[in-house]
Amino acid sequence: MILSGCGPKEPLVLSTQRVTSSSISVPFVTPRSDLCAATSIEMISSYWHATTSYTPRLSQEELDARTLIPAKGGTLQIELMATARANGLLAYTLAPTLDALLHELEKQHPVIVLLNRGYSWYPLWHYAPVTGYNKKDQTILMHFSDRPNEAMNVATFKRLWERSGNWGVVLLPPGYLPATASSKAFLRSAYDLEKTGMRDNAIIAYRSALQRWPKDIDILFALANAYYHSNKFTAAEKYYRKLLSIEPLHPLALNNLSDLLCRTGRRKQAMAIIKKAVSNNSEIQSIINATQKEILGGCTLQRTH
Amino acid sequence: MNISKLILSFILSITLFTQTSWAQIASTEALFKQTEILSSKDRIIQFAARQDVAKILEQMDVEPKMIKDRVAAMTDEEASRFVNEIDTLPAGGDVLGTLVGAAVFIFVVLLITDILGLTKVFDFTRSVR
Repeated sequence: MILSGCGPKEPLVLSTQRVTSSSISVPFVTPRSDLCAATSIEMISSYWHATTSYTPRLSQEELDARTLIPAKGGTLQIELMATARANGLLAYTLAPTLDALLHELEKQHPVIVLLNRGYSWYPLWHYAPVTGYNKKDQTILMHFSDRPNEAMNVATFKRLWERSGNWGVVLLPPGYLPATASSKAFLRSAYDLEKTGMRDNAIIAYRSALQRWPKDIDILFALANAYYHSNKFTAAEKYYRKLLSIEPLHPLALNNLSDLLCRTGRRKQAMAIIKKAVSNNSEIQSIINATQKEILGGCTLQRTH
Repeated sequence: MNISKLILSFILSITLFTQTSWAQIASTEALFKQTEILSSKDRIIQFAARQDVAKILEQMDVEPKMIKDRVAAMTDEEASRFVNEIDTLPAGGDVLGTLVGAAVFIFVVLLITDILGLTKVFDFTRSVR
């Protein structure tokens, strides 16, 4: 039973990478008891603090106090991500593959992985920032427990990692995109920042996303809405119009733009635009109807819900 | 009990705050929802989920003064997942504390598997692989 994991040696994926090795100088922090999540966030945050204009928002004490669940003797993935966001970073969960992990490392993005150092019947969960890999030696480098840049054999690493479903997350300053991001998943991560009270950071993230996916309807919609909610109506209008230049009958964008026009005193334009909005979704249609009614009413009432 | 009340009023203020935009604006949330728009029923369910998160954190010995911030830092989806899966979600932490109670047999097994490169329980082991 003990030897059951010792199968034939498979060809290692490390060989598919373009770069033979990658090493990221992530500052090392000695782990504090039960706080490997907090120290992992701390290490990644100080890396970005040292290499970009990013400044951490939380102190070390706050990181500890936000992540530890004493009765569990550790930190949930949910709270690791929530705390990273509270520290001003965007948290993006990677696709669960070694390839995605290596790709991020190659782009100098350190990754926090969740490993099970034991077995499923005796789990010993541990977070570690991965700081690089070496194709020649077939090793993965990480700040593992109290050992900085520990080189772990990739076969061992894969075993420990697959027990967490290959869970890994990159924490990035809002202007940076994961190397492996999909537009939809990235938008979700950026919107999570907005929903948890960091709209300004979310706006930076949406704008960076538009540089990679300039015609993505959903990102344009999210950015326009974020500007709208920040009362930056000129910017919001610009992005609603840009969206509509790509998809002229997008009902939600038509609705929101006409609401904006109504609110900024351009009732006639608002009316012309809301007339184009139609949806076979009854909830959306009822919103459209309400906006239309508002415009007909003269755009004068300060509406409340 | 006091904490739960505190959280309740806090969350309520957040909910109201985020709701002050004009009622007709379609939210970005619509992009992620099957149902497109968040109904008031959804809001009540999510509100309850956050109260449950606060209670669970309280029961699990989390510092009371941190609970408000920790609940607020979660998205609605995270709060629901937290409540539904708290018993099964892994909590990454320290290895040594957990090991103190382990039987000698398990200690020896894990030591051997460490050396074989199947596990990495102990910091001092070097895999033969």
